[in-house]
This record gives sequence, structure tokens and C-alpha cells, in this order.
Amino acid sequence: MTHDTNDIILDVQHVSKRFGGVTALNDVSLQIRRGEIHGLCGENGAGKSTLMKILAGVYPHGSYEGTILYEGRELRLGESSIRQAIEEGIAIVYQELTLVPSMTVGENIYLGKEPVERGSINWDKLYAQTKDILAKYRLEIQPQAVVKRLGVGKMQMTEIAKALSENARIIILDEPTSALSEAEIDKLMEILAILKEHGVTCIYITHKLDEFFRITDTVTVLRDGKIVTTRPTKELDQHQLVNYMVGREMTERFPKGNRKPGEVILKVEDLHALEPDSEREVLKGVSFDLRKGEILGIAGLMGSGRTELVMTLFGEYGRINRGKVILDGKSLDVHNSRAAMSCGISLVPEDRKRHGLVLMQSILKNISLANLDRFSNWMRIDENRELSESQKFAKSLSIKTPSLQARADSLSGGNQQKVVISKWLMSQPKVLIMDDPTRGIDVGAKYEIYRLMNDLAEQGMAIIMISSELEEVLGMSDRVMVMCEGHSTKTLDIKEASQEKIMRLATGLE
Amino acid sequence: MATTTATPTTQSRTNTLKLFRANLQTFALVGALLVIWLFFTLATKNGVYLQAQNFSNLFRQMTITALMSVGMVLVIVTGNIDLSVGKLAGFISVVVAVFQARYWTRETAIPASEVHNPVFFILGLIAVLIILAVASRWYRQQEAKGSKPSQYGFPVVVVGIIAVTLLALWFVITPLVADLTGRVLTALVLEGSEALTTTISVIFALLLGVFVGIIQGFIIAYWRVPAFIVTLGGLWVFSGLITLVTEGKTIPANQPLFSGISQDYVPPTLGWMIAGAVVVVLVYSTFTGRQKKVRYGFELPPIAFDLVKTGVMALVVLGYVYIVNQYNGIPNPVLLLAIVAVVVGYMATNTRFGRYAYAIGGNREAARLSGVNIRRNVFFIFVLMGFLCGVAGTALASYVGYGTIAAGQGYELDVIAACILGGTSTLGGEGTIFGAMIGALIMASLTNGLQMLNVQPGYVYMLKGAVLVAAVLLDVQLKKNR
Repeated sequence: MTHDTNDIILDVQHVSKRFGGVTALNDVSLQIRRGEIHGLCGENGAGKSTLMKILAGVYPHGSYEGTILYEGRELRLGESSIRQAIEEGIAIVYQELTLVPSMTVGENIYLGKEPVERGSINWDKLYAQTKDILAKYRLEIQPQAVVKRLGVGKMQMTEIAKALSENARIIILDEPTSALSEAEIDKLMEILAILKEHGVTCIYITHKLDEFFRITDTVTVLRDGKIVTTRPTKELDQHQLVNYMVGREMTERFPKGNRKPGEVILKVEDLHALEPDSEREVLKGVSFDLRKGEILGIAGLMGSGRTELVMTLFGEYGRINRGKVILDGKSLDVHNSRAAMSCGISLVPEDRKRHGLVLMQSILKNISLANLDRFSNWMRIDENRELSESQKFAKSLSIKTPSLQARADSLSGGNQQKVVISKWLMSQPKVLIMDDPTRGIDVGAKYEIYRLMNDLAEQGMAIIMISSELEEVLGMSDRVMVMCEGHSTKTLDIKEASQEKIMRLATGLE
Repeated sequence: MATTTATPTTQSRTNTLKLFRANLQTFALVGALLVIWLFFTLATKNGVYLQAQNFSNLFRQMTITALMSVGMVLVIVTGNIDLSVGKLAGFISVVVAVFQARYWTRETAIPASEVHNPVFFILGLIAVLIILAVASRWYRQQEAKGSKPSQYGFPVVVVGIIAVTLLALWFVITPLVADLTGRVLTALVLEGSEALTTTISVIFALLLGVFVGIIQGFIIAYWRVPAFIVTLGGLWVFSGLITLVTEGKTIPANQPLFSGISQDYVPPTLGWMIAGAVVVVLVYSTFTGRQKKVRYGFELPPIAFDLVKTGVMALVVLGYVYIVNQYNGIPNPVLLLAIVAVVVGYMATNTRFGRYAYAIGGNREAARLSGVNIRRNVFFIFVLMGFLCGVAGTALASYVGYGTIAAGQGYELDVIAACILGGTSTLGGEGTIFGAMIGALIMASLTNGLQMLNVQPGYVYMLKGAVLVAAVLLDVQLKKNR
């Protein structure tokens, strides 16, 4: 259990990396001790991913300056460097999982290194070895389970098992919890502790600050490609960490608004809905109401039907088979997003890359995509009006870009999210639904989005916000509706809501 | 002093550089074209390659595939493909030839009984069209009500099968009746009026293309069968129809007016007038465009940049007309292609229809959630594709002067190659009609030049293949380094 505190497994010395004229890493030096869990923290674009990609061999030796000592030797990853990094024992578990969904856990773990005897795969051996690995690290998954049927948490376990099967000595976890439920996060934390017992070193990247305090031994903060500080976690608190990250004093994480909720605009009564193309009921009785100028938080675990609920309201998911939705005193009956928009409902989807943006297109085209009807005279799109309207939104949301003609994928996560929000604000909704609006974006951008939400609510817009982070729900909402297994449990006033209370409702204890 | 003057110059230089980088692909394509032209001009005797006559032929040779490439760009941009275009254009050219040979002229090589009557075929088409229109209307109502596909899918399939069966029946059992009607109609109404008969032929060809586009588009967009499969099936169906209609014979379509569609030239004076009008429109739109931007308070691009751009475009138009007027004038089909390309190109960038196509190809889910009706958009793109096959088929029949069993053979590959060479991404979301036109021109220039140098056809094919792969390889490398 105890390790020599001076046993350095990885020593990064004066590493710099440039992309054209942009310096992504500037003279970064960092030491990681064997067997520790080392947190890496910083806003998007601070250089965390670049540093990790160097370690994982995505950028081979020679494409950066400086040296990296690994186990006392210089790490020189050359041709086919990603494979080489894995053989050296450095494995990376990406935010987006890299498993083959149609294969089993065992097949995935041994993909590319199947035990072969006389030219054919020895399946018994493969599954036996898989079982050994899973048992050794107490990972509760079935070797023969097909990956696509597993939950995200178990998929991630598979990914970790895959790294361990390569005798990984350093495992890099890039935002491992961004798609996990609270229970799954707890499970992951347990696994990390088990890895630590076995002397595996972990580098842990996340945007959720509380996780640093739950699990890491040391935290390094990066800002603008430079190391700001490396300190034992014990000596830090959340407040300090935020200050290191943003480089300025941030007095509060959630800006306080001056909201005065008005009359009810949207009323949902005992809504039941079926999954598309099947008879399975995903929404089993949801009731709530939403007022003008308020932010209603929707909390619930993964799979509780939060996303399904808002997608159904937006006309893009299930078929309603019971219950009523009343918008502005009129019964709402929409079957696609276009109809929902014309009724005054906008939805900022959960996964901005998959559902929100056309990444290869310009920022301008992304903002205007849902609103081209307003710029069209008969057939022709008035490109000047399109540009001038889009510029207004880009400016008021302070999207940081040299030009609206730049491609959407050139932006950081926070700015991409602002583009998606601009698109949906341009359609002038009465009800704005935001599904996990701050997922995977940095503290500074989060703050800006919170402020925007406040402004919109103060102007009288009704906002529904789904969030996986309880702190966010508590910090931003006027009321919180908690969902559990497809039905709504209770709508709490923010004064009576607490993390414990919400968790009890979400897990069905109350 | 030095610093104050240096700043704006470097800035404008970086701006120019940026503009250059952004349009690198276009410049590379045009550059490649110019290199090819230069090479063949030097390689052929007296530079015959770029002299008026060959220059004129060069452009005309590319028109038939290029007409279809215009639609294919949009098909590929939405993430689909159409393998049936060659055979469809071939089928349409054969049917048009039958019209020309069988109905509009008395003394014909083919006896009446051997060919099915297109007039009745039209009626059949109209009947099926009505059925499909009713079906799709009903389908949309069901969809709006939010019913499940399993509840309305079956009747739709039944209607589809009935429609196809009806079509087949019209084809098989009605030649006798049809023949009679055709004869009467010909004798009473159309005898002697070549303008009228040619118009009917052309309209029918376009309608036939649209009809096929509707059927294929409907199956692809609404019944969600992959385009690759539907159009592969279409390729065989049209091959079969070509064989049925021609019965292996060559059908002449060489009446003067009809042949004129692809073989005649715009008179030089008229050509100059057209060029002049184009230049006036170009200059006018440049300046009004700038004025409008001023009204919106946008930053204007440097006047020099706009002037150079407009100037180059004007020079290209004037230069082209100057060269071809030394021979016979602008070939009719080239003018037709120019009009089609400009109109569809405008649709692609300046209308919702076009914008949605790029959004669908770029990210289908994001487009759907943004309120884009994906099915309707894809459907209409296939209808447009069918229409353009109609145009191409007419041009083909007129150009070669007959309909044969080999009509349109292998054209689909040329059409797709032109798009890819012109920078259309096979993954969808990216591609321009201008690029495809240059791509088609590069392919035509290569073929034409190699033929002039008497290179064996075998080598010509191999070289075309190599050029296509090399171009995409280069593109991949350029994108990686950007």
C-alpha cells in the first residue's frame, strides 16, 4: 500500500508543443509518483488533452520539445507510436469510448491481441483470461456480455479492463464521469481505489471539481498551456482550485439572479409515452408546471427518463399515449421539431456534437440552420440578414472566434455550446429546454452560460434545465422536479431542496 | 514611419493568404486543369488541342455527364448515391428516339408493331403518379398524426406494388390499343409540325426523368431503403427497359430540329450578346452586393479583391465566347449546361433546399432536431436528379442521333468521378457544383487530349483511374496538413 514518495514513474521536463502559431503547451514540467492518483485540472483549451496525447503517443516524439522520462528512461514514441505507448504500459481511456458495440466484453478486451493457436483463436483461453482480469480488479462485468447492451458505466469498466490486460502501469482517464450517473461514479471511485492498491498510477482529468477531492492525491492545474501549480490535494479547497484555474478571483460559481416567476406557461399532466417503434412505456406519469421567468431544474439518474421527457415535449421522441401537455392554455400536439419550434419550444440537446452542431460547417450556418425560414424571401435566403442577425447573437453570447465563417469544430466546447444556444434563441422561444447545458465545458464558460440563463429568465423566458450535477441544479433552479424510473416524484421548491433530498427522491427512497 | 506602413500591408497580405488557403481546393483544381491544357497544347501538333474547333468539342463532350454531375453533387452531399443515372439517361434517350423515329416520322426503319406505344405509356405514368401522390399525401397525414410505421407501412407497400404492376401492365398488354391511338393522334394532330413534336418529345423525356426520380426518391426517403441498393436495382431495371424498348436495334433520332438540341451552335452575334449580358449582370451584382453590405454595416472585402474576382469571371466568359466564335459559336448543350449549373448552384447555396442538403449530409441528427424535414429534402433531391437525367437523356439522343442498347453505359461512373474529383466528400456534407464542373472538364480534357495523341483506349481508362485516385489522395494529404 505504501509507496516511496520519491518513486517517480513519469517525469515530464520542459515540454512545449506548438500547432502552427498557437502554443498549446509552454514549458510544462510535471512529476507523477508511482501508484498515486494525479488529478489534472484546467479550463478547456488549457492544454490537458494535448499533454495526454503526447503521453499516449498521438503526437510522436520529435513533434514536441522537451523530454519525458518514463521509469527513468527517456520516452521516445516513434512510428506507430500509439501502439508503442500501450506496449510501454501507458493507456488512455477516452471520454468517447472506443469499444466495438457489437462485440462481447472479452472480444473487446483482446481485440488485436487474441490468443491464437495454430492460426485460430482460442476462445476458451480468451474468456478465461478475461475472467481473471475482471476478478483481479473486482470489475463486475460478464466476459460474454455484448458491449452495446451494457450501461455506460460498465462500458467504461471494460475499457479500463482492456488497458489493464496490456499490463498498463499508467492509466489516463479523460473525463470519465461526464456520462455516468451518481451510482456509477461511486463505482468508478471504488475501482480507482482498487487500482491504487495494485500500484497502478492514474492520471485523472475532469471538470467536476468535487471528484478531485474525493479521489486524487495530487492535483496539477494547467492554464493557457502552462503549469500553474502542483499540490497535494489535502492542501487545497474548491475555492482555491477554481481561482487557480481561471486565474482570477471567482466569488461564486452560480450567479444569483433576480427572477420573478410569473404565470404558468406550460403544464404537463400525467404524461405517458411509448418508446419510438416499440410498445415499451418510457414515461410513466410525469406531471409538472412551468412558469414564465423561472428556471425549472429536472434531476434524476441516468435512465430516469429526463432526456426522453424533453425530447417527447419537443416532438422528436416517443408517442404520447396518455396525459396532456398544455402550452399557453392550448393543448400541445407536436410530432416533429419544426412543429415544436413554431409553437415556441426550443431544445438545446444533450450531446452538442451529435445532435447540436454540423461540425464541418461554419458557425454562421450552424446558428441560422433552424431559422432559415425567417431569412427567406420566397426561395432566396437573404445572406446579409442572416449574417447580421447571427452576429447579434454571437455578440450578445460573446462567442470567441475571429469570424463567423470559421468552422464550428474550430471552437472550444464552451463556445460550441454557445453556438447551439444561439441557434435556439434565434427562434424566439417561449419555453427553452436545456438538456445538460454545461456538460464537458470549463468553469469560465459555465459561468457565462449560467448568467445567460439568468438574463433570459429575467426577461420572462421559461427555462427547463436538465443537469447531472446536483450542485448545478441546486445553484440555478427556482424549483426542482425529480424524476425516478420514468415518472415524476415531486417538485421541490429550491428552499426545501438539498442534495440528500434529491438523491432520496431520485433513487425511489422517498 | 516604417512600422505604420508595414502593418496594413502585412494584414492585407495575411488576408489574401487566408482567402487563398480557404479556396485552396478550387485553385488546385483550376491549376490542374490549366496544366493539363498546357501539356496537351504543347504535345499536339501546332497546339491544335486548344484551337477553336477542339476547344469547342472539348466542352461539348463533357456536357452529358456534367449535366448529371450537377444533381449528383447534391445526392452525394446528402450522404446518398445514385448508380442508376447512366442507364436512366440511356433509357430516356432510347424512349425519345422511339418518339422521334416511330411517331413523328412516317418512313421509319422500325415497323409499328415492334415498339410499344409511348403515348399510352404516358397515360400509364400519369395514373401511377396520381396513385403515388395520393399515397404520399395519406402517408404524410398518418405521419403527422404520429402513427407508427407498422400501422400504415403495409397499405403503403401494397399501393406501391399495385402501382408498379399497373405500370408493367401498361407496358405489356396495351401495345395494340396504344399503337392505334398513337397512329390516330399522329395523323390528326401532329403531322408536319416539327416544333410541336420535338417539344412533346423533350417534355416527355423530362417528365419520365421526374417520374423515375419520384419513384426512387420515394423508396429511398420514405421507405428508407438505402440509395445504393435502390439505384443499383434501378440500374438493372433501366438496362432491362432499354433492351425491351430497343429490342437490340438502333433507333434513329436525327430530325433536323431535334438534332439541333445538341449539335447546333448559338450564332456568334447572339453568343456575344449573351456574354455581354452575363458580364453586365456580374458587374451589377458585385456593386449592388457591396451596397447592401454597407447598408448592414458589414466590413467590405477590399475593392481590389471584388474587382479581380468579377474581372476574372468576366474574362473567362468573354474569352470562352471569343474562342468558340472563331469556330461555330457556343455549342447549344454547353449553354444548356451553363444555365442548369448556375440555377442549381444558386439553389444549393442560396435556398433552404440547398442549405438543408448540406446540413443533412453534415450531421443528420442535428439537422433533424433543427426542424429540417429530411425525408422531403432527400426525396426532392432525387426528383431533381431524375429531372437532370431527363435533360441529359434528351441531350444524349440528340447528340448521338439514335437510341441504342448501349446508351448511357457506364456514365454513372463518369458522373460520380467528376463529383469526387471536384471535391465532393463521399461521406457527405461537402461539395460544390462548380467543383464538379471543373472535375468533369478535367476528365473530358484528359480523354480528348489522349485521343488526339492516339493513345490506346486501354491506357486512357487506366490514366483516368489513376488521376481520380491521385486527386483524392492529394486532397486527403492537404486536409491533414491544414
